[in-house]
Amino acid sequence: MIYEAKVNELAEEFGVHRNTIRNWINSGVLPAQEGPGRRYLIQWEDYRRLCDKYGREPRFMPDPEARADAPAAPHSPAAPGQIPVRLDVRASALDASPGQINICLTCGSCAGACPISGVDGFDPRKIVRMAFLGLEDELTASGWQWKCTLCGKCEAVCPMKVEIVQLLRRIRARCDRDKVPAAIRKGVATCLEKGNNLGIPKDDFLALVRELGEELARTSCPGFVAPIDVRGARLLLTVNSKQPFAEPEAMTWWWKILHAAGESWTISSEYWEGINWGLHVGDYGAMRTIVKRIIDNIERLNCTALLLPECGHAYYATRYALERWFPEALQQFRIYTVFDLLLEYLNEGKIRLDPAVQTKLTTFHDSCYYGRHSVEAFGHGYFEEARALTRACCKRYVDLVPDREENYCCGSGSSAWADPYRVERVYHGRIKARQISASNARLVVTACLNCRDQIRYSLNSEFNLNVEVQFLWELVANALVMTPPAAMEARRD
Amino acid sequence: MTDQGMIGAVAVVGGGISGMQAALDLADSGFFVYLVEKTGAIGGAMPQYNKVFPTNDCAMCIISPKLVECGRHPNIRIMTLTTVVDINGRAGAFTVRVLEHPRYVDPAKCIACGQCSSHCPQSVDDSFNILMAERKAIYIKYPQAVPLKYQIDPQACLRLNQPGACGICAEICPPGAVDFADRGQEHNLRVGAVVMALGFQPFDPGKTRAWGYGLYPNVVTSLQFERFLSPGGPTGGALVRPSDHRPVQRMAFLQCVGSRDKNRCNNEYCSTVCCMSAVKEAMTVKEASPEVEVTIFYIDMRTPGKEFERYFEQARTEYGIRFVRSRVHGIEPKGQKGDLRLRYINAFGKQVEETVDLVVLSVGLETPDATVRLAEKIGIHMTPDRFASISAFAPVHTSLKGIFTCGAFNGPRDIPQAVIGGSAAAASVAALLHPVRHTLTRTLPPPPERDVSGQEPRIGVFVCHCGTNTAGVVDVDAVAAYAATLPQVAHVARNLFTCAQDTQDLMAQQIRENGLNRIVVASCTPRTHEPLFRKTLKSAGINEYLIEMANIRNQNAWVHSQEPAAATAKAKDLVRMAVAKVSRQTARKPLRIPIAPSVLVIGGGVAGMTSALNLAEQGYRIHLIEKTNQLGGNALHLYQTWSGENVPRFLKGLKEAVQQHPQIEVSYSSTVATVGGHVGDFTSLIRTGPNRKRTIDHGAVIIATGAKRYIPEEFEYGKIPKVVAAIEFDKLHMHNEARVANGKSFVFIQCVGSRNQQRPYCSKSCCTHSIQSAIKLKKEAPDRRIYILHREISTYGQRERIYNQAREMGIVFINYEQHGPPQIRKSDNNGGVLVEVWDHVLHRPLEIRADMVILATATLANPEAAALASMFKLPLNRDGFFQEAHAKLRPVEFHVDGVFVAGLAHYPKPLEESITQALAAAAKAGRLLARKEIAQEPTIALIDRQRCDDCALCVDVCPYQAIRLTEYKDQDGVVRKAVTVEHVACTGCGICQGTCPKRGIDVAGFTTAQIEVQIDAALAAAPMAEGAA
Repeated sequence: MIYEAKVNELAEEFGVHRNTIRNWINSGVLPAQEGPGRRYLIQWEDYRRLCDKYGREPRFMPDPEARADAPAAPHSPAAPGQIPVRLDVRASALDASPGQINICLTCGSCAGACPISGVDGFDPRKIVRMAFLGLEDELTASGWQWKCTLCGKCEAVCPMKVEIVQLLRRIRARCDRDKVPAAIRKGVATCLEKGNNLGIPKDDFLALVRELGEELARTSCPGFVAPIDVRGARLLLTVNSKQPFAEPEAMTWWWKILHAAGESWTISSEYWEGINWGLHVGDYGAMRTIVKRIIDNIERLNCTALLLPECGHAYYATRYALERWFPEALQQFRIYTVFDLLLEYLNEGKIRLDPAVQTKLTTFHDSCYYGRHSVEAFGHGYFEEARALTRACCKRYVDLVPDREENYCCGSGSSAWADPYRVERVYHGRIKARQISASNARLVVTACLNCRDQIRYSLNSEFNLNVEVQFLWELVANALVMTPPAAMEARRD
Repeated sequence: MTDQGMIGAVAVVGGGISGMQAALDLADSGFFVYLVEKTGAIGGAMPQYNKVFPTNDCAMCIISPKLVECGRHPNIRIMTLTTVVDINGRAGAFTVRVLEHPRYVDPAKCIACGQCSSHCPQSVDDSFNILMAERKAIYIKYPQAVPLKYQIDPQACLRLNQPGACGICAEICPPGAVDFADRGQEHNLRVGAVVMALGFQPFDPGKTRAWGYGLYPNVVTSLQFERFLSPGGPTGGALVRPSDHRPVQRMAFLQCVGSRDKNRCNNEYCSTVCCMSAVKEAMTVKEASPEVEVTIFYIDMRTPGKEFERYFEQARTEYGIRFVRSRVHGIEPKGQKGDLRLRYINAFGKQVEETVDLVVLSVGLETPDATVRLAEKIGIHMTPDRFASISAFAPVHTSLKGIFTCGAFNGPRDIPQAVIGGSAAAASVAALLHPVRHTLTRTLPPPPERDVSGQEPRIGVFVCHCGTNTAGVVDVDAVAAYAATLPQVAHVARNLFTCAQDTQDLMAQQIRENGLNRIVVASCTPRTHEPLFRKTLKSAGINEYLIEMANIRNQNAWVHSQEPAAATAKAKDLVRMAVAKVSRQTARKPLRIPIAPSVLVIGGGVAGMTSALNLAEQGYRIHLIEKTNQLGGNALHLYQTWSGENVPRFLKGLKEAVQQHPQIEVSYSSTVATVGGHVGDFTSLIRTGPNRKRTIDHGAVIIATGAKRYIPEEFEYGKIPKVVAAIEFDKLHMHNEARVANGKSFVFIQCVGSRNQQRPYCSKSCCTHSIQSAIKLKKEAPDRRIYILHREISTYGQRERIYNQAREMGIVFINYEQHGPPQIRKSDNNGGVLVEVWDHVLHRPLEIRADMVILATATLANPEAAALASMFKLPLNRDGFFQEAHAKLRPVEFHVDGVFVAGLAHYPKPLEESITQALAAAAKAGRLLARKEIAQEPTIALIDRQRCDDCALCVDVCPYQAIRLTEYKDQDGVVRKAVTVEHVACTGCGICQGTCPKRGIDVAGFTTAQIEVQIDAALAAAPMAEGAA
């Protein structure tokens, strides 16, 4: 049977933007033929497949009468063709600490909150249930663990505090290594082997940094020299390999702020990578190794503070590893979040910001790792700090609804940006896109590279958002009131 | 303890329904009561509710008579705005230090005219209407408040915050009652016992942003929603969105907000009342506006109370309320116009997004921090859920002797449980303090009564608005104007709430001033309100029976709400009929009956023994009859309570106490053969064994005849030996029989015989019981796999803790629906049982190889209840359990005076509820017996000797054997027969009156002559609209 549909009808039905439907059609996810009057002709079976993929009831049935005969609720044990799951007597292998998943009330809060519930059968409640009932092999083979962004919305709403994110991490870890999505698997291997995820050679990196530093000195920071391996510097800065590789100028926003604040800082010439995909692939050995390299750098360079500016997960993974495996190192140096450091500068008068520079209506998107996950793991989420900083740099500010602990993930967290599940990632982002467009903000500020790229490149085009997306430090760097060195000196006296 | 130094007074702390009930029972049992209330008026939470489940009575209407009764009672001293500072002393003699906060209005002077409030310039949020309306800085809590005295909110008052400012209320107050210099005062109350009825507060959902409460105007709490539905509430009962006052079209209830949650709050317990409360509120919405789409999102619909399951079914099937088993994680706004978006997972496991106009958060109940601190200071032990720690065996006793506890302070509970608790606490106090009964109480002499027999009727008509309940439909002005035109009507008045205490005082004043001698109250139902108005007549100095009520609300405004004009005409008809009838009303005197100070307790289970022991401790003589040859009843099969207390040990102690008490006589193998007499003077024939009979005289009866268990026909019971009923399993488990000892896999199936079409009720204790058994099995051998297949897990209240514990231990809970029960068959190979069940999360069938299957079977009504019911003329409900007088406020009484019910005979319930109810029944019996003599309604058949020809037709039809043909000798010594009525046996049912061909017998107050004029009035030309006549 052929089913005729308009793009906007389908968009409404699936809760996505018209562009997404067109992209599905153009990319063949939804095979369709253009018909008269801006309509599309779709085979009912293809439509049905799409409904199945996104966990929706088809709105149209080939035979309108068939609906009436459908069972009221699927509760008959004698469902035809279903082979019962035999419950095993042994305990579940995933149930590492009793009580964590057993305690599930099966209330459905998580499944209702999760932005990708229903996609390819994904459902956090079902995953918890399967783990509990000992169906871990089926679970591991499902691939769900890679489509989930581990954003933790499910866990935040769970009345029983079931540790769903931990469970999914365990499922990721349990996965055969050849089933781990290629990009992150290779990223981890390359990082272990060559010191950074993209395998950028040391000489290239140093040349690039030097060149960027000179450029910065020329344009806005007279006298600036990019500090490499400066012994005795206070602050060690790590780098996300994606930036020197793809958009090197993005590194200089931080440099500019540090320069303005008169910070004593340095970058290491080796093992400068801050990204830690060991967390995402569930390889705790790799995670530990990468963090150990950072500790070694700090010790070698005699620094007393650490900043991982690139991304929420880098901070989270590093701090998590420090607390878990290197608690003594935390006695030697302080790990900053971007928020702590920027607020410190601002509050101590080391930098001055001019909110008049940014006139667009601005909002801040909370990343999961600085928000919910930090609350969960470290007892504090960086919600208010982020807003204080953003407000200091813009004239008009609006919050997304909901936000803070209740925020929705951008859709590309925990390696999803690098994973091959593009349509799922876009679909996940539909709620973020809806939130942004409902806020009327024209500028979205984030503190995480994944969030920024997802919103800037993916959601913007899929959902016609037309918003500008900036890093928080980009916003701050642009709002800096650069005091001439003489005035700076005068102020210090 | 000797009675030396014991004090015959009691402090009841907390003026909610539970505390009020305790106060009334104690005051009527011979103790002086200080009723200490922290706000400006008693009533607690109940007056804020619109209706109550499952009776759908108007909450204000049923509590109002009790409020007035407390307010008027000569032995209750209400202390408002008063908090307890400390309690010292010992059982029998406590000193309760209380702080009376300033009211700034002298209650002795305040006449509640309201001028202060109308002139007060300062408006603040009204806490009674929960931030949805405003009140003035000088205010009364609610229109029917007792005491009806204004108070000043010191935070809001301009004058109190700035000396010299405002002060207008003091200037205009006619009696000069306002006193800005009022200061708090401490009092030391000397009492023998204390009852803590400290109550609850609703959970504040604004603590977490996820519920959107305080962020989006169209999110309200269930208590706010009650105010919305209430005719006296901020919208006058109209269902509109707070944001834009547009009618609501789609709305949703979110259950378990602030309950069963250890993430967003620390309330792990179930709040017990919210499921039923949501069903009730949804039904109220549907009744008024059937087109509104109402959805209730829930985890488990917990409907374990009496008639709850039927109510729920009715809501689902008849009212079309949609129930979705899914907890909604939070609320988000949609657009700028106030719409709200919900996302949830449906029964098919699909995620659905919906938009609604209004969300009601069914908020849980919790103990306020101040209460917890007070408890800690006094030394009352608390549970981890922050409620008073009580033993199931002593359910109204705190950890301190002489300090008792009831109501929601003992854990979340509904109104009947709070009322039962109040009475039970009263019984426990009475047992402690009985030696000093009547030492501190006083009786007021009745006011002198004016003889009106020779006078022409001067009728007063009082028309009640009942807020907008009546006045919203009926044109009460027109009804009052019309009443004034009726013959013999001398005075007409209208009142906002006629039952309010100030109106009562006003009414009495008007009766005296206008020399009225017949009264018509056009308001509501005499069933709930006539006793109140009769007391007012009494206080006004006329006979209390010279009243007639015209029910222009329940039988008119409520049923004809869509036709105001016709309803107004009908109200006029009703008033005209009442006026006609009351004109023929004559004064009557209540019958005074002495009470035999002994009680017959039928049933020697825990309930019967508890009642017997308490009453014996109160000093009364008890006949306890038990049909088997041992005491204990169904509790003989129990091993532990939900909190793990040892039942056999308790039972042994209770049996010994009963058997050894000198005031209790136990008869084994005994049943009641016949019953004669009436309240205060029953005579029962007791049959013991096959051939022994004897007669017992007693003043009251407590029925505690228990229940029996269901023998299943389903799930291969009796066919597969490994399928056993729960009670059998307990025995096997106890003896560690091989099937249990070697078992590795156990499956429990819940709701076997309960909650089906044949028995649409929940057996209440089975979920808890199965979970306990499962935990025990798991503790014995942690590698055992245990599955509980359930429909709803009804671990209400703090029982939720063991449900959580069971899941933590790895016990698997699988939710099946009624239409898809588990399938059971024998396993082919190893002799086990295969259970197949559909998993509600995976949406796939599961197969479990079980070593044993345990069926949680229903509790059935005792089949012998029917015979007993007909003997005592008591009603049974559709399930065969005894039907109490009123499900909410008279939970252990019957319409037949002097007969009370407790335990499983009333409804299936766990042990502590049986014990509480048994104590409550004892309180009622004790309260009756304490009076030594009672007044019975003189609404009885009277013979008109002029007309009666002693044909004796009435003798045969009387269902109470109250009419006899008695022989006597006339003046000439000839033996004659005459019809006589035994007054105390007559219930005034009127069958004789209808049967009599000669009009020779009339029920007083309903004479044929009265009914005739009433009918004539009904048939008289109906009043037409003005101008049409």
